Amino acid sequence: MKLAILFPTLLSLSAAAETLKINGSTTVNLPVAEAAEVLRAEKKMDIQIDTQGGSSGGISMLGEGLVQVGMISKHVSQTDREKFPKCQYKEIQIGEDAVALIVSKDVWEGGVKTVTKEQVADIYEGRIKNWKEVGGPDRRIVFFNKEPGRGTWEVFVHWLYGDPKKAPQVSFPEVGGNEETRNKVASTKGALSQLSSSWADGKTVFALSLKVDGKEIAPVTANIASRIYPLSRPLFVLTNGEPSGESKVLIDFLLSERGQQLVKKHGYLPLAELKAPETRP
Amino acid sequence: MTGRRRWSLTKWVSGTFSVFALLALAALLVLFIRQSLPVWRQEGWGFLTGKRWFYRQEEFGLAPMLHGTVAVALVALGLAAPLGIGAAIFTAEFLSTRLRLIVKVAIELLAGIPSVVYGLLGILLLRDWVYEAMERFEPLSGDTLLTGGILLGVMILPTIMTLSDDALRTVPASQRLAARALGLNSTETVLHVSLRQALPGLVAAILLAVGRACGEMIAVFLVVGRQDNQWPDKLFSAKPLLEAGQTLSTKLGSSETNIAYGDPLHWAAMVALGLVLLALVTFITAIGVRLQRSPHET
Amino acid sequence: MRRKFIHHFFRLATGLCAAAACAVLGLIVWAIVKRGWPAINWRFFTEQILLVGADGGIFYNLLGTGILLVTAFCVSAPVALSLALLHGVYLPPKRRGTLALLLYILNGVPSILFGIFGMIVFVQFLGWGKSWLTGGILLGFMILPTVTIALMERISAIPRKFGEAAAALGLRESQIIRAVILPQSVGGLVTGSLLGLARAAGETAPIMFTATIFAGATMPSGIKESPVLSLPYHIFILAQDSFDPAVGSKLWGTALTLLMLVFLLSLAALPARLKLKQPAHHD
Repeated sequence: MKLAILFPTLLSLSAAAETLKINGSTTVNLPVAEAAEVLRAEKKMDIQIDTQGGSSGGISMLGEGLVQVGMISKHVSQTDREKFPKCQYKEIQIGEDAVALIVSKDVWEGGVKTVTKEQVADIYEGRIKNWKEVGGPDRRIVFFNKEPGRGTWEVFVHWLYGDPKKAPQVSFPEVGGNEETRNKVASTKGALSQLSSSWADGKTVFALSLKVDGKEIAPVTANIASRIYPLSRPLFVLTNGEPSGESKVLIDFLLSERGQQLVKKHGYLPLAELKAPETRP
Repeated sequence: MTGRRRWSLTKWVSGTFSVFALLALAALLVLFIRQSLPVWRQEGWGFLTGKRWFYRQEEFGLAPMLHGTVAVALVALGLAAPLGIGAAIFTAEFLSTRLRLIVKVAIELLAGIPSVVYGLLGILLLRDWVYEAMERFEPLSGDTLLTGGILLGVMILPTIMTLSDDALRTVPASQRLAARALGLNSTETVLHVSLRQALPGLVAAILLAVGRACGEMIAVFLVVGRQDNQWPDKLFSAKPLLEAGQTLSTKLGSSETNIAYGDPLHWAAMVALGLVLLALVTFITAIGVRLQRSPHET
Repeated sequence: MRRKFIHHFFRLATGLCAAAACAVLGLIVWAIVKRGWPAINWRFFTEQILLVGADGGIFYNLLGTGILLVTAFCVSAPVALSLALLHGVYLPPKRRGTLALLLYILNGVPSILFGIFGMIVFVQFLGWGKSWLTGGILLGFMILPTVTIALMERISAIPRKFGEAAAALGLRESQIIRAVILPQSVGGLVTGSLLGLARAAGETAPIMFTATIFAGATMPSGIKESPVLSLPYHIFILAQDSFDPAVGSKLWGTALTLLMLVFLLSLAALPARLKLKQPAHHD
């Protein structure tokens, strides 16, 4: 067989190449993938990017040593650390984003612009099934849930229940990628889902404000920057221990002026615009 | 062949490769059984009949997914079987050889359209179409078992058509001529001779297509809604078709496969899901192949 | 009168079925061509992905799919030849049916199961990352039945007198195989492989967990940790995640490219298949 002859030559080649492997969240992927394009062109770096399994895929593949950099749109949880005790997870923030609750046009125009945390929990647990119960049109609520493992989902249940493990058992139609979510919400009447706020374009899908202590807080830049909006979340790249070598080159670039421009270009908040430090238990 | 039989290099090499292939096939089966053992130990037969799947609570029951798989396959079949067999009767019995060949070549080309392309068409066109067409039944969204079934129906249509055409063509021409000589017209010949003779082959065509349909992942994945725990209140009603659901294969293609990796029980449940799918598809395919290979023995 | 009516009605009904089936499938191809064609130009095939799919081309996706297909061919060809010889020469006739049944069953195995199998063997047992070789081997196994069955048909269609003449000349079995059967079965190998590869080219499920990634892979430089890009995975990812509307046209362009690749592979197999079918009709 030809492969038998190819094998040794290829194996010897593999030692020479220094490939930087990245995997994780599709949300963080956008600026990182574009940064990688720049580094590939300018520094001739060999960078491979994938988005298998979202944030949790990034955490587990870094934990197993299959990649050098993870991309996550949520924090590394204690459970994650226990699952991979050998990995010294180091989170490096590259920007800020928020999880928005997005609705379809008919809901938005039907008058639903704000919801409270309690209402969201009621919808999630199936106690509220119709938009008229939250001041909207008489239409059933179609909730598209982000699939498990997605950072967006974890941030959402963390806000509602404090811990993903405490989230109640529910079954909804599931969506995976951000565009899939946007597309399905936009084309379905009475639809609601969780989506990175930068994808809520205000034309096909609309981001609801959250009512906190009587104040309506919209997921807009100012509120995300000051972290008043409760579902804001940091966007991280993740390394095992202090970044070094190729990983460090990438991360330095992401934190540089040009890298931060890419973060901004994709609708996220660059670090310089962040006003308040994160408060997290 | 009547050459002298003894061990030669050729025989040795081909024997080795063959054994290797059969071992790989056996390994697939053994690995799937072994790695799924933990969940069988925990759930027993309840794994097949359980109606709840909540992996965080370590509850694994796949009845709703079996329902989803069967429902989607039946919808696909309901669409593709009449259309495909009807079309095959036309190409096999009423078309000239040259035209038949052209149609057949075109259809076999279309059988090769990759499932991810169907998925793309499904998510961007079919979903919305189903949602609007079914509006008066008030589906929650365009992601329904029906959408998955229609998409699958289109996907297996070429398979049913070309296999049925083959089955009809294996009916010996002499039988047709005899029927015509008795005064039957071509329609009567088809109804009384060809269809009857080709029946096992037609059933085989359907079964082989269903086998394909049950295992199809990517296209269905994008339009079926992937909602767990959708066991219907009434088993034999059409209403659940307008709701989102999950099939065995879409579950296997979901993010849970990544999450389960490394967690023995959850992984076992996913592998067991695969094993059940394998058993189901193998069963259907095996019957189909049996029927296909004995067309004139009845 | 009634007979005539039924006859015409029946012919019309089946004709409509055929027309509807062709129309549906024609519409599908049209829908893809219409949307994908604007994206297609020379740059689309020679450049790499830029701006996360919104610009540039799919050169490395084509390359990756090509690598996977060549590997699948190299894996399946020797195994298929061996199995076909086993079936046509070495096995007693009684066992041949069992082997054929096994092949048909293998042909029916859902492709996602090959993906899970690959994950167990190559990722879990061997500790490989995503690798083109894993993908090639899995796809090779997937197309094995198609290739083998095409070979089996070809071998069984070799006129008996060829083998008898060779035996009469005093050739040993292995010599007959090399002098008569192998040269005669090349056509079957090519046809079967093209048909199999046409199916493998569009498969996403077996390679999504084991072989392909979204961006950045070029020519693989090793085995264990060397993924490739591919056309179907590119479509699968972008169908779920395309931020920029500009991605849309590239996405349909990729779908059209994949479709053309698949059609080309099956069309290439066509002449040989038509020839193969003819003698069978005489039996």
